[in-house]
Amino acid sequence: MFRLTIEKSLNRFINANNIDLNQIENKIISLKVDEIDLTLFFLSLNSRIFVVDNHKNKKADVSILMSKASFLSIFKGATIEELLKSEDIEINGSVNTAQQLASLLSSSSIDIEELISQYTGDIAAHQIGKAFRHLKDSAINNDGSLIGAIKDEITTVLVAPSRSKLFKGRA
Amino acid sequence: MGKTTHFGYKQVDVEKKQGLVKEVFDSVAGKYDLMNDVMSMGTHRLWKNYTIASSNVVEGDHVLDIAGGTGDLALKFRKKVGPKGKVILSDINSSMLFEGRKNLLNHGVIDVEFVQANAESLPFDDNAFDCVSIAFGLRNVTHKAEALKQMYRVLKKGGTLLILEFSKVENQTLEKIYDLYSFNVIPKFGEFFANDEDSYQYLAESIRKHPDQETLKNMVLDAGFEFCEYHNLTGGIVALHKAIKA
Ligand SMILES: C[S@@+](CC[C@H](N)C(=O)[O-])C[C@H]1O[C@@H](n2cnc3c(N)ncnc32)[C@H](O)[C@@H]1O
Repeated sequence: MFRLTIEKSLNRFINANNIDLNQIENKIISLKVDEIDLTLFFLSLNSRIFVVDNHKNKKADVSILMSKASFLSIFKGATIEELLKSEDIEINGSVNTAQQLASLLSSSSIDIEELISQYTGDIAAHQIGKAFRHLKDSAINNDGSLIGAIKDEITTVLVAPSRSKLFKGRA
Repeated sequence: MGKTTHFGYKQVDVEKKQGLVKEVFDSVAGKYDLMNDVMSMGTHRLWKNYTIASSNVVEGDHVLDIAGGTGDLALKFRKKVGPKGKVILSDINSSMLFEGRKNLLNHGVIDVEFVQANAESLPFDDNAFDCVSIAFGLRNVTHKAEALKQMYRVLKKGGTLLILEFSKVENQTLEKIYDLYSFNVIPKFGEFFANDEDSYQYLAESIRKHPDQETLKNMVLDAGFEFCEYHNLTGGIVALHKAIKA
């Protein structure tokens, strides 16, 4: 269900916006999020994307390993470059290809918090998503480092939710 | 008797199975849609909707629905591919094709092509389709491995194969209820609604003889598909195998 939902959202977006997948056509991109034991294989073929299980152990052209926080932040528009600076991500292969996938994921209106919380049963994912949205605005306004601010806030949410800016005024 | 295969729970000559399956579908064709609704309590529509939603089919695509029967999937695919696309409904049985054509005409659809063909020897070019589907058809095919190879051949690179078929129920309690329903209720429905108990007895038996989820997945991979996974629907009563030619 997880893979199917992502696949459907990506293809809906690609199709509605006539996105040219030339740069990633015929590529296998593996995306691994260790903390939640999630590995997704993105396969770009026939002008569409498939999100598959890799039974035959095909070698990926690009392998991305990232933390859960980075994975979530991608869906909110964080770029691969930003994540590389934060050292929260490892990429084997073309960074451009990884970026194109990241851009597709962030544009495709996938409700990743909902999906992740279904996948892991982890409601913290919802909070992280909310924190990210809140922080993205404030960091952009303050001209600060987006990734740094996100990491701080995520840590606060996870460790001490009551001190998070996100919940201020609600307690 | 030479080489044998199963026809429901009976063992029959390999060469005889196709003719026996033909008799079943000749007999049920006229009442097929009604019986589908009665037997599955309408759930087959949800399974088919799920299949279409999983297909990745877009406007302009070319789709082949094998063993397409009365045309439920073809009709839905036709909507997805639009006038620029193409849908072919193929089936081995002329009575089922006749019902399919009638059904699509009743829906105002005149541009789906109908082709009488055995899934084991498809009369289509290599790499011709973006999607090939077969719903509740594969278990009736004598040489399944050969049919799967044909499906691989006619798909384009990046094409999707969708196999919707009865499968192995995951939960033992559900399995018991389902067995009771299949062998005691379905044939009686067949007798009552279609005056044909035997055909519906065969349908119930053929489901049990069909490979389970994992076995079918391996058969699909053996046919050449690089990727295959399945989704259990209604507790595994039905499974959708989705494979990609890469
Ligand atoms: C249970 S019906 C399914 C019809 C339709 N796909 C649906 O889902 O409602 C099975 C169909 O498989 C067809 N069939 C059986 N053996 C076949 C074969 N070897 N090649 C192609 N079609 C076959 C039958 O004629 C019948 O129309």
